[in-house]
Amino acid sequence: MAEVQGPSKLPVVVQKPTPYTFDLGLLMAEDPNPLLISSKDNLEDDLAATARDGAQALLNQLLSTCPIQSTPSGVLLSLPEISTRLPREKPLPPPKAQTTWEKFAAKKGIKGKTAEQKKKMVYDDNTGEWVPKWGYKGANKAGENDWIVEVDPRKEAERKEGTERQGDGRRERKEKVRRNERMQRANERKSRKNGGK
Amino acid sequence: MLRQIKPRNARSKRALDKKAPKAIENPKTALFLRGTSCSQITQNALTDLYQLRIPLAKKFTKKNEIHPFEDPSSLEFFSEKNDAGILVFGSSNKKRPHAITLARCFGHKILDMLELNLDADTFRTLAQFKNKKCAVGLKPMLVFSGTPFESPVSDEYTLAKSFFIDFFKGEPADKVDVEGLQYIVSVSAQDIVDGAESKPQIHLRVYLIKTKKSGQKLPRVEVEEMGPRMDFRVGRVREADESVLKEAMRRARTSAERPKKNISTDIVGDKIGRIHLGKQDLSELQTRKMKGLKRSRDVVDDDFDDEMEDEVVSEEEGKKKSRRN
Repeated sequence: MAEVQGPSKLPVVVQKPTPYTFDLGLLMAEDPNPLLISSKDNLEDDLAATARDGAQALLNQLLSTCPIQSTPSGVLLSLPEISTRLPREKPLPPPKAQTTWEKFAAKKGIKGKTAEQKKKMVYDDNTGEWVPKWGYKGANKAGENDWIVEVDPRKEAERKEGTERQGDGRRERKEKVRRNERMQRANERKSRKNGGK
Repeated sequence: MLRQIKPRNARSKRALDKKAPKAIENPKTALFLRGTSCSQITQNALTDLYQLRIPLAKKFTKKNEIHPFEDPSSLEFFSEKNDAGILVFGSSNKKRPHAITLARCFGHKILDMLELNLDADTFRTLAQFKNKKCAVGLKPMLVFSGTPFESPVSDEYTLAKSFFIDFFKGEPADKVDVEGLQYIVSVSAQDIVDGAESKPQIHLRVYLIKTKKSGQKLPRVEVEEMGPRMDFRVGRVREADESVLKEAMRRARTSAERPKKNISTDIVGDKIGRIHLGKQDLSELQTRKMKGLKRSRDVVDDDFDDEMEDEVVSEEEGKKKSRRN
Protein backbone atom coordinates (compact mmCIF):
# COMPACT_ATOMS: atom_id res chain seq x y z
CA MET A 1 0.00 0.00 0.00
CA ALA A 2 2.98 2.27 0.45
CA GLU A 3 3.66 4.81 -2.23
CA VAL A 4 6.91 4.63 -4.12
CA GLN A 5 8.76 7.94 -4.07
CA GLY A 6 11.88 7.33 -6.07
CA PRO A 7 14.30 4.62 -7.05
CA SER A 8 16.82 5.07 -4.23
CA LYS A 9 14.62 6.40 -1.45
CA LEU A 10 12.63 3.97 0.68
CA PRO A 11 8.95 4.86 0.84
CA VAL A 12 7.75 6.26 4.16
CA VAL A 13 4.25 7.43 3.28
CA VAL A 14 1.30 5.16 3.95
CA GLN A 15 -1.71 5.51 1.70
CA LYS A 16 -5.01 3.98 2.76
CA PRO A 17 -8.53 4.47 1.40
CA THR A 18 -9.73 5.53 4.87
CA PRO A 19 -7.18 7.45 6.90
CA TYR A 20 -5.90 6.21 10.24
CA THR A 21 -7.12 7.66 13.48
CA PHE A 22 -4.64 8.13 16.27
CA ASP A 23 -4.57 8.39 20.01
CA LEU A 24 -1.02 9.50 20.50
CA GLY A 25 -1.31 9.56 24.29
CA LEU A 26 -1.67 5.80 24.17
CA LEU A 27 0.69 5.40 21.19
CA MET A 28 -2.26 3.91 19.37
CA ALA A 29 -3.31 3.87 15.75
CA GLU A 30 -6.62 2.64 14.41
CA ASP A 31 -6.90 1.37 10.90
CA PRO A 32 -10.56 1.34 9.93
CA ASN A 33 -9.94 -0.32 6.58
CA PRO A 34 -11.01 -3.93 6.04
CA LEU A 35 -8.23 -6.40 6.72
CA LEU A 36 -6.98 -7.71 3.37
CA ILE A 37 -5.92 -11.32 3.46
CA SER A 38 -5.30 -12.97 0.11
CA SER A 39 -5.21 -16.60 1.23
CA LYS A 40 -4.96 -18.70 4.36
CA ASP A 41 -1.28 -19.52 3.75
CA ASN A 42 -0.43 -15.90 3.28
CA LEU A 43 -1.98 -14.83 6.58
CA GLU A 44 1.22 -14.04 8.47
CA ASP A 45 2.74 -11.98 5.65
CA ASP A 46 -0.45 -9.97 5.25
CA LEU A 47 -0.75 -9.36 8.96
CA ALA A 48 2.89 -8.28 9.10
CA ALA A 49 2.34 -5.92 6.17
CA THR A 50 -0.72 -4.39 7.82
CA ALA A 51 1.17 -4.00 11.08
CA ARG A 52 4.11 -2.44 9.26
CA ASP A 53 1.86 0.12 7.60
CA GLY A 54 0.25 0.87 10.95
CA ALA A 55 3.60 1.23 12.67
CA GLN A 56 4.89 3.48 9.91
CA ALA A 57 1.82 5.69 10.01
CA LEU A 58 1.92 5.91 13.79
CA LEU A 59 5.60 6.73 13.87
CA ASN A 60 5.17 9.33 11.12
CA GLN A 61 2.35 10.92 13.08
CA LEU A 62 4.32 10.86 16.33
CA LEU A 63 7.45 12.36 14.84
CA SER A 64 5.61 15.01 12.88
CA THR A 65 3.07 16.24 15.43
CA CYS A 66 4.61 15.73 18.89
CA PRO A 67 7.09 18.28 20.20
CA ILE A 68 10.55 16.71 20.23
CA GLN A 69 13.08 17.54 22.91
CA SER A 70 16.73 16.52 22.82
CA THR A 71 18.21 15.83 26.24
CA PRO A 72 21.47 14.14 27.30
CA SER A 73 19.46 11.04 28.23
CA GLY A 74 17.84 10.75 24.82
CA VAL A 75 15.34 12.24 22.41
CA LEU A 76 12.04 12.73 24.19
CA LEU A 77 8.62 12.98 22.59
CA SER A 78 5.93 14.89 24.47
CA LEU A 79 2.68 13.00 24.17
CA PRO A 80 -0.74 14.63 24.24
CA GLU A 81 -3.50 13.66 26.65
CA ILE A 82 -5.18 10.30 26.21
CA SER A 83 -8.45 10.81 24.36
CA THR A 84 -9.83 7.26 24.49
CA ARG A 85 -12.18 6.76 27.41
CA LEU A 86 -11.35 3.77 29.54
CA PRO A 87 -13.15 2.69 32.70
CA ARG A 88 -11.58 3.55 36.01
CA GLU A 89 -10.32 0.94 38.42
CA LYS A 90 -11.90 2.47 41.50
CA PRO A 91 -14.64 5.03 42.03
CA LEU A 92 -13.72 8.68 42.28
CA PRO A 93 -12.73 9.65 45.80
CA PRO A 94 -15.55 11.43 47.64
CA PRO A 95 -15.07 15.16 48.14
CA LYS A 96 -13.32 16.00 51.39
CA ALA A 97 -15.69 16.83 54.25
CA GLN A 98 -15.46 20.34 55.71
CA THR A 99 -13.87 20.60 59.11
CA THR A 100 -15.79 22.25 61.93
CA TRP A 101 -13.66 25.34 61.58
CA GLU A 102 -14.21 25.51 57.80
CA LYS A 103 -17.96 25.23 58.31
CA PHE A 104 -17.93 27.95 60.95
CA ALA A 105 -15.71 30.21 58.88
CA ALA A 106 -17.95 29.80 55.84
CA LYS A 107 -21.03 30.61 57.92
CA LYS A 108 -19.43 33.68 59.44
CA GLY A 109 -17.73 34.75 56.26
CA ILE A 110 -14.25 34.54 57.76
CA LYS A 111 -11.52 34.44 55.21
CA GLY A 112 -7.88 33.52 55.65
CA LYS A 113 -5.34 36.28 56.01
CA THR A 114 -3.81 37.57 52.84
CA ALA A 115 -0.06 37.65 52.32
CA GLU A 116 -0.18 41.40 52.99
CA GLN A 117 -1.97 40.90 56.29
CA LYS A 118 0.49 38.25 57.41
CA LYS A 119 3.46 40.62 57.24
CA LYS A 120 4.74 41.91 60.56
CA MET A 121 5.87 45.36 59.43
CA VAL A 122 3.49 48.16 58.49
CA TYR A 123 4.21 51.48 56.91
CA ASP A 124 3.65 54.50 59.10
CA ASP A 125 2.41 57.30 56.89
CA ASN A 126 3.17 60.07 59.40
CA THR A 127 6.80 59.28 60.04
CA GLY A 128 7.50 57.52 56.74
CA GLU A 129 9.00 54.50 58.49
CA TRP A 130 8.31 50.80 58.62
CA VAL A 131 7.28 49.79 62.12
CA PRO A 132 6.26 46.41 63.56
CA LYS A 133 2.55 45.87 64.21
CA TRP A 134 3.28 44.81 67.79
CA GLY A 135 6.21 44.46 70.14
CA TYR A 136 8.96 46.99 70.75
CA LYS A 137 7.92 50.33 69.23
CA GLY A 138 4.88 48.54 67.83
CA ALA A 139 2.12 50.29 65.93
CA ASN A 140 -0.45 49.08 68.48
CA LYS A 141 1.14 51.40 71.06
CA ALA A 142 0.54 54.50 68.96
CA GLY A 143 -0.71 57.41 71.06
CA GLU A 144 0.10 55.85 74.44
CA ASN A 145 2.99 58.16 75.20
CA ASP A 146 1.49 61.37 73.88
CA TRP A 147 2.26 64.27 76.25
CA ILE A 148 -1.01 66.01 75.50
CA VAL A 149 -4.32 64.23 74.88
CA GLU A 150 -7.74 65.53 73.93
CA VAL A 151 -10.26 64.47 76.53
CA ASP A 152 -13.88 63.64 75.79
CA PRO A 153 -15.79 65.43 78.58
CA ARG A 154 -18.76 63.03 78.46
CA LYS A 155 -16.53 59.94 78.88
CA GLU A 156 -14.58 61.72 81.59
CA ALA A 157 -17.86 62.28 83.45
CA GLU A 158 -18.73 58.58 83.23
CA ARG A 159 -15.31 57.50 84.48
CA LYS A 160 -15.40 55.28 87.54
CA GLU A 161 -14.14 56.48 90.85
CA GLY A 162 -10.48 55.74 91.48
CA THR A 163 -9.41 55.24 87.84
CA GLU A 164 -7.55 57.68 85.70
CA ARG A 165 -7.02 58.30 82.06
CA GLN A 166 -3.30 57.74 82.35
CA GLY A 167 -2.40 54.25 81.02
CA ASP A 168 -5.83 53.57 79.52
CA GLY A 169 -4.39 52.38 76.20
CA ARG A 170 -1.96 50.04 77.89
CA ARG A 171 -4.68 48.53 80.08
CA GLU A 172 -6.92 47.99 77.06
CA ARG A 173 -4.09 46.30 75.17
CA LYS A 174 -3.24 43.98 78.05
CA GLU A 175 -6.91 43.12 78.54
CA LYS A 176 -7.15 42.09 74.85
CA VAL A 177 -4.24 39.69 75.30
CA ARG A 178 -5.79 38.21 78.43
CA ARG A 179 -9.15 37.82 76.68
CA ASN A 180 -7.51 36.00 73.78
CA GLU A 181 -5.76 33.61 76.16
CA ARG A 182 -9.04 32.97 77.94
CA MET A 183 -10.73 32.09 74.65
CA GLN A 184 -7.86 29.83 73.71
CA ARG A 185 -8.10 27.90 76.97
CA ALA A 186 -11.87 27.59 76.56
CA ASN A 187 -11.45 26.22 73.05
CA GLU A 188 -8.93 23.65 74.24
CA ARG A 189 -11.24 22.60 77.02
CA LYS A 190 -14.14 22.29 74.58
CA SER A 191 -12.14 20.21 72.10
CA ARG A 192 -11.00 17.87 74.90
CA LYS A 193 -14.58 17.39 75.95
CA ASN A 194 -15.66 16.63 72.37
CA GLY A 195 -13.32 13.66 72.18
CA GLY A 196 -10.37 15.32 70.52
CA LYS A 197 -6.79 14.41 71.36
CA MET B 1 -15.64 -8.02 51.39
CA LEU B 2 -12.61 -7.60 53.56
CA ARG B 3 -13.04 -5.92 56.90
CA GLN B 4 -12.27 -2.25 57.08
CA ILE B 5 -8.74 -1.82 58.34
CA LYS B 6 -7.73 1.09 60.49
CA PRO B 7 -4.02 1.71 60.14
CA ARG B 8 -2.07 1.17 63.34
CA ASN B 9 1.18 2.69 62.18
CA ALA B 10 2.58 4.96 59.50
CA ARG B 11 3.74 2.12 57.28
CA SER B 12 0.35 0.46 57.06
CA LYS B 13 -1.23 3.87 56.55
CA ARG B 14 1.03 4.50 53.58
CA ALA B 15 0.12 1.08 52.19
CA LEU B 16 -3.58 1.82 52.56
CA ASP B 17 -3.21 5.27 51.02
CA LYS B 18 -1.56 3.65 48.04
CA LYS B 19 -4.63 1.46 47.55
CA ALA B 20 -7.21 4.17 48.20
CA PRO B 21 -9.22 5.59 45.28
CA LYS B 22 -7.52 8.55 43.69
CA ALA B 23 -8.58 11.22 41.26
CA ILE B 24 -5.69 10.26 39.00
CA GLU B 25 -5.30 6.55 39.35
CA ASN B 26 -2.34 4.27 39.61
CA PRO B 27 -1.86 2.07 36.58
CA LYS B 28 -3.89 -1.11 36.80
CA THR B 29 -2.19 -4.27 37.96
CA ALA B 30 -2.98 -7.42 36.03
CA LEU B 31 -3.37 -10.65 37.95
CA PHE B 32 -2.88 -13.94 36.14
CA LEU B 33 -4.74 -16.95 37.48
CA ARG B 34 -5.47 -20.49 36.32
CA GLY B 35 -8.41 -22.75 36.86
CA THR B 36 -8.41 -26.33 38.05
CA SER B 37 -7.96 -27.60 34.54
CA CYS B 38 -5.71 -25.52 32.37
CA SER B 39 -3.94 -26.93 29.33
CA GLN B 40 -0.22 -26.42 28.83
CA ILE B 41 -0.99 -24.22 25.83
CA THR B 42 -3.15 -21.92 27.92
CA GLN B 43 -0.52 -21.81 30.63
CA ASN B 44 2.11 -20.84 28.08
CA ALA B 45 -0.18 -18.16 26.73
CA LEU B 46 -0.70 -16.77 30.23
CA THR B 47 3.05 -16.76 30.83
CA ASP B 48 3.65 -14.85 27.61
CA LEU B 49 0.97 -12.28 28.34
CA TYR B 50 2.50 -11.93 31.79
CA GLN B 51 5.92 -11.36 30.25
CA LEU B 52 4.52 -8.53 28.15
CA ARG B 53 2.78 -6.97 31.12
CA ILE B 54 5.68 -6.97 33.62
CA PRO B 55 6.14 -4.97 35.90
CA LEU B 56 2.42 -4.20 36.36
CA ALA B 57 1.56 -7.86 36.74
CA LYS B 58 1.28 -10.68 39.24
CA LYS B 59 1.09 -14.35 38.38
CA PHE B 60 -0.26 -17.11 40.54
CA THR B 61 0.41 -20.72 39.70
CA LYS B 62 -1.88 -22.62 42.05
CA LYS B 63 -5.11 -24.08 40.77
CA ASN B 64 -8.28 -22.22 41.62
CA GLU B 65 -11.74 -23.62 41.35
CA ILE B 66 -13.26 -20.61 39.68
CA HIS B 67 -15.89 -20.40 36.97
CA PRO B 68 -15.85 -16.69 36.13
CA PHE B 69 -19.16 -16.57 34.29
CA GLU B 70 -21.00 -18.60 36.91
CA ASP B 71 -19.62 -17.06 40.07
CA PRO B 72 -17.06 -14.29 39.89
CA SER B 73 -16.93 -13.72 43.67
CA SER B 74 -13.51 -15.35 44.09
CA LEU B 75 -12.15 -13.23 41.28
CA GLU B 76 -13.43 -10.18 43.14
CA PHE B 77 -11.71 -11.43 46.27
CA PHE B 78 -8.42 -11.84 44.41
CA SER B 79 -8.83 -8.40 42.91
CA GLU B 80 -9.29 -6.81 46.30
CA LYS B 81 -6.49 -8.76 47.96
CA ASN B 82 -3.98 -7.91 45.28
CA ASP B 83 -5.30 -4.50 44.29
CA ALA B 84 -5.61 -5.72 40.72
CA GLY B 85 -7.81 -4.00 38.15
CA ILE B 86 -7.38 -6.56 35.40
CA LEU B 87 -7.70 -10.30 35.89
CA VAL B 88 -6.59 -12.85 33.32
CA PHE B 89 -7.93 -16.31 33.99
CA GLY B 90 -6.91 -19.38 32.04
CA SER B 91 -8.87 -22.59 31.88
CA SER B 92 -9.46 -25.39 29.49
CA ASN B 93 -12.16 -27.99 29.13
CA LYS B 94 -13.77 -30.02 26.41
CA LYS B 95 -16.52 -27.54 25.64
CA ARG B 96 -14.30 -24.47 25.82
CA PRO B 97 -10.74 -25.46 25.03
CA HIS B 98 -7.92 -23.06 25.86
CA ALA B 99 -10.12 -20.31 27.21
CA ILE B 100 -8.57 -17.10 28.45
CA THR B 101 -11.01 -14.91 30.35
CA LEU B 102 -10.19 -11.25 30.66
CA ALA B 103 -11.99 -9.45 33.45
CA ARG B 104 -11.90 -5.86 34.56
CA CYS B 105 -12.84 -4.64 37.98
CA PHE B 106 -14.36 -1.43 39.17
CA GLY B 107 -14.04 -0.90 42.89
CA HIS B 108 -13.05 -4.57 43.22
CA LYS B 109 -16.30 -5.71 41.63
CA ILE B 110 -16.33 -7.31 38.22
CA LEU B 111 -17.14 -4.67 35.60
CA ASP B 112 -16.99 -6.69 32.42
CA MET B 113 -15.62 -9.99 31.22
CA LEU B 114 -14.60 -11.40 27.88
CA GLU B 115 -13.75 -14.98 27.12
CA LEU B 116 -11.27 -15.60 24.33
CA ASN B 117 -10.68 -19.09 23.01
CA LEU B 118 -7.13 -19.54 21.88
CA ASP B 119 -6.48 -21.35 18.64
CA ALA B 120 -4.06 -24.11 19.66
CA ASP B 121 -2.77 -24.80 16.14
CA THR B 122 -1.53 -21.35 15.32
CA PHE B 123 -0.35 -20.40 18.81
CA ARG B 124 3.37 -19.67 19.09
CA THR B 125 5.03 -18.65 22.33
CA LEU B 126 7.45 -15.82 22.88
CA ALA B 127 10.34 -18.27 23.21
CA GLN B 128 9.58 -19.97 19.90
CA PHE B 129 10.73 -16.91 17.99
CA LYS B 130 14.49 -16.98 18.08
CA ASN B 131 15.41 -13.35 18.09
CA LYS B 132 16.27 -10.51 20.41
CA LYS B 133 13.42 -9.49 22.69
CA CYS B 134 12.71 -5.99 23.79
CA ALA B 135 13.46 -4.74 27.28
CA VAL B 136 11.02 -5.35 30.12
CA GLY B 137 8.47 -2.68 30.95
CA LEU B 138 8.63 -0.72 27.70
CA LYS B 139 5.51 1.00 26.48
CA PRO B 140 4.28 -0.74 23.35
CA MET B 141 2.72 0.97 20.38
CA LEU B 142 -0.72 -0.30 19.47
CA VAL B 143 -2.42 -0.73 16.16
CA PHE B 144 -5.93 -2.01 15.65
CA SER B 145 -6.83 -2.95 12.11
CA GLY B 146 -10.07 -4.14 10.68
CA THR B 147 -13.62 -2.89 10.56
CA PRO B 148 -14.99 -4.88 13.56
CA PHE B 149 -13.06 -2.68 16.00
CA GLU B 150 -14.64 0.46 14.59
CA SER B 151 -18.22 -0.58 15.23
CA PRO B 152 -20.25 2.32 16.64
CA VAL B 153 -22.29 0.05 18.91
CA SER B 154 -20.41 -1.84 21.58
CA ASP B 155 -19.99 -5.51 20.82
CA GLU B 156 -17.43 -8.24 21.50
CA TYR B 157 -14.86 -6.65 19.23
CA THR B 158 -15.01 -3.15 20.66
CA LEU B 159 -14.94 -4.72 24.11
CA ALA B 160 -11.87 -6.73 23.11
CA LYS B 161 -10.28 -3.55 21.81
CA SER B 162 -10.99 -1.76 25.08
CA PHE B 163 -9.52 -4.71 26.99
CA PHE B 164 -6.39 -4.81 24.88
CA ILE B 165 -5.87 -1.06 25.22
CA ASP B 166 -6.22 -1.38 28.96
CA PHE B 167 -3.89 -4.35 29.00
CA PHE B 168 -1.12 -2.83 26.89
CA LYS B 169 -1.47 0.75 28.10
CA GLY B 170 1.34 0.47 30.61
CA GLU B 171 2.36 3.28 32.85
CA PRO B 172 0.97 6.68 31.92
CA ALA B 173 3.70 8.87 30.48
CA ASP B 174 3.60 12.36 29.10
CA LYS B 175 7.04 11.93 27.58
CA VAL B 176 8.54 8.91 25.88
CA ASP B 177 12.02 8.26 24.66
CA VAL B 178 12.16 7.66 20.93
CA GLU B 179 14.58 4.82 21.64
CA GLY B 180 11.87 3.20 23.75
CA LEU B 181 9.49 2.76 20.81
CA GLN B 182 10.75 -0.74 20.13
CA TYR B 183 7.75 -2.90 19.56
CA ILE B 184 4.20 -2.78 18.34
CA VAL B 185 1.20 -4.85 19.31
CA SER B 186 -1.05 -5.42 16.37
CA VAL B 187 -4.61 -6.56 16.89
CA SER B 188 -6.54 -7.30 13.76
CA ALA B 189 -9.74 -8.94 12.66
CA GLN B 190 -11.35 -9.55 9.33
CA ASP B 191 -14.76 -8.20 8.42
CA ILE B 192 -17.83 -9.70 9.98
CA VAL B 193 -19.69 -11.56 7.25
CA ASP B 194 -23.41 -11.92 7.71
CA GLY B 195 -24.55 -15.50 7.58
CA ALA B 196 -21.08 -16.94 8.24
CA GLU B 197 -21.07 -19.83 10.69
CA SER B 198 -18.43 -18.29 12.94
CA LYS B 199 -17.28 -14.80 13.75
CA PRO B 200 -13.84 -13.71 12.54
CA GLN B 201 -10.80 -14.43 14.65
CA ILE B 202 -8.89 -11.77 16.51
CA HIS B 203 -5.24 -11.94 15.58
CA LEU B 204 -2.81 -10.72 18.23
CA ARG B 205 0.72 -10.21 16.96
CA VAL B 206 3.70 -8.54 18.51
CA TYR B 207 6.40 -7.15 16.27
CA LEU B 208 9.76 -5.59 16.88
CA ILE B 209 10.31 -2.37 15.02
CA LYS B 210 13.38 -1.79 12.91
CA THR B 211 13.91 1.66 11.52
CA LYS B 212 15.99 2.27 8.44
CA LYS B 213 17.26 5.47 6.95
CA SER B 214 15.01 6.34 4.08
CA GLY B 215 16.87 9.34 2.75
CA GLN B 216 14.07 11.52 4.03
CA LYS B 217 13.31 13.10 7.33
CA LEU B 218 11.13 10.25 8.53
CA PRO B 219 12.62 6.78 8.89
CA ARG B 220 11.39 3.71 7.07
CA VAL B 221 9.83 1.18 9.40
CA GLU B 222 10.20 -2.57 9.08
CA VAL B 223 8.74 -5.14 11.42
CA GLU B 224 9.99 -8.49 12.69
CA GLU B 225 7.77 -10.81 14.64
CA MET B 226 8.78 -11.14 18.27
CA GLY B 227 5.94 -13.29 19.55
CA PRO B 228 3.70 -14.39 21.06
CA ARG B 229 1.36 -15.16 18.19
CA MET B 230 -2.20 -15.73 19.25
CA ASP B 231 -5.45 -16.17 17.38
CA PHE B 232 -8.60 -15.91 19.41
CA ARG B 233 -12.23 -16.70 18.90
CA VAL B 234 -14.59 -14.69 21.01
CA GLY B 235 -16.45 -16.80 23.53
CA ARG B 236 -18.76 -15.70 26.30
CA VAL B 237 -19.13 -12.03 27.09
CA ARG B 238 -20.40 -10.25 30.16
CA GLU B 239 -20.93 -6.63 29.36
CA ALA B 240 -20.78 -3.94 31.98
CA ASP B 241 -23.88 -2.82 33.78
CA GLU B 242 -24.82 0.54 32.26
CA SER B 243 -25.06 2.50 35.49
CA VAL B 244 -21.82 1.01 36.81
CA LEU B 245 -20.07 1.72 33.54
CA LYS B 246 -21.25 5.31 33.65
CA GLU B 247 -19.83 5.63 37.13
CA ALA B 248 -16.59 4.01 36.00
CA MET B 249 -16.23 6.37 33.06
CA ARG B 250 -16.39 9.47 35.22
CA ARG B 251 -13.30 11.59 35.24
CA ALA B 252 -12.01 13.80 37.96
CA ARG B 253 -12.35 17.50 37.48
CA THR B 254 -8.92 18.73 36.62
CA SER B 255 -7.52 22.06 37.64
CA ALA B 256 -7.07 22.90 33.97
CA GLU B 257 -9.24 25.79 32.97
CA ARG B 258 -12.53 24.71 31.54
CA PRO B 259 -13.51 26.27 28.24
CA LYS B 260 -15.67 29.32 28.65
CA LYS B 261 -19.08 29.22 27.12
CA ASN B 262 -19.89 31.22 24.02
CA ILE B 263 -16.31 32.34 23.50
CA SER B 264 -14.37 30.92 20.61
CA THR B 265 -11.37 31.76 18.55
CA ASP B 266 -11.47 31.63 14.79
CA ILE B 267 -8.70 30.54 12.44
CA VAL B 268 -7.17 33.99 12.25
CA GLY B 269 -6.93 34.16 16.03
CA ASP B 270 -9.73 36.65 16.61
CA LYS B 271 -11.80 36.13 19.68
CA ILE B 272 -15.47 35.69 18.94
CA GLY B 273 -18.08 35.96 21.63
CA ARG B 274 -21.81 35.40 21.56
CA ILE B 275 -23.83 37.55 23.89
CA HIS B 276 -27.48 37.35 24.75
CA LEU B 277 -29.53 40.51 25.02
CA GLY B 278 -32.90 40.87 26.63
CA LYS B 279 -36.00 41.19 24.52
CA GLN B 280 -36.17 44.56 22.83
CA ASP B 281 -39.00 46.82 23.92
CA LEU B 282 -40.48 48.03 20.65
CA SER B 283 -42.57 50.73 22.27
CA GLU B 284 -39.37 52.54 23.23
CA LEU B 285 -38.04 52.31 19.70
CA GLN B 286 -36.91 55.61 18.21
CA THR B 287 -38.76 56.02 14.96
CA ARG B 288 -38.39 58.74 12.41
CA LYS B 289 -38.39 62.20 13.92
CA MET B 290 -40.95 64.69 12.70
CA LYS B 291 -41.61 68.23 13.72
CA GLY B 292 -45.29 67.56 14.11
CA LEU B 293 -44.73 64.82 16.68
CA LYS B 294 -42.42 66.89 18.87
CA ARG B 295 -43.85 67.82 22.24
CA SER B 296 -43.35 71.37 23.33
CA ARG B 297 -40.54 70.95 25.84
CA ASP B 298 -40.10 74.54 27.00
CA VAL B 299 -43.30 74.95 28.99
CA VAL B 300 -43.67 71.51 30.53
CA ASP B 301 -40.00 70.95 31.39
CA ASP B 302 -39.57 74.21 33.24
CA ASP B 303 -42.53 73.52 35.48
CA PHE B 304 -41.32 70.01 36.09
CA ASP B 305 -37.83 71.14 37.12
CA ASP B 306 -39.20 73.65 39.62
CA GLU B 307 -41.32 71.03 41.24
CA MET B 308 -38.33 68.71 41.56
CA GLU B 309 -36.21 71.35 43.25
CA ASP B 310 -38.95 72.11 45.72
CA GLU B 311 -39.27 68.50 46.61
CA VAL B 312 -35.54 68.09 47.18
CA VAL B 313 -35.40 71.05 49.50
CA SER B 314 -38.34 69.92 51.53
CA GLU B 315 -36.86 66.48 51.87
CA GLU B 316 -33.58 67.82 53.17
CA GLU B 317 -35.41 69.94 55.68
CA GLY B 318 -37.34 66.94 56.82
CA LYS B 319 -34.12 65.01 57.40
CA LYS B 320 -32.61 67.81 59.38
CA LYS B 321 -35.71 68.00 61.49
CA SER B 322 -35.68 64.31 62.18
CA ARG B 323 -32.01 64.42 63.19
CA ARG B 324 -32.74 67.14 65.66
CA ASN B 325 -35.45 65.00 67.10
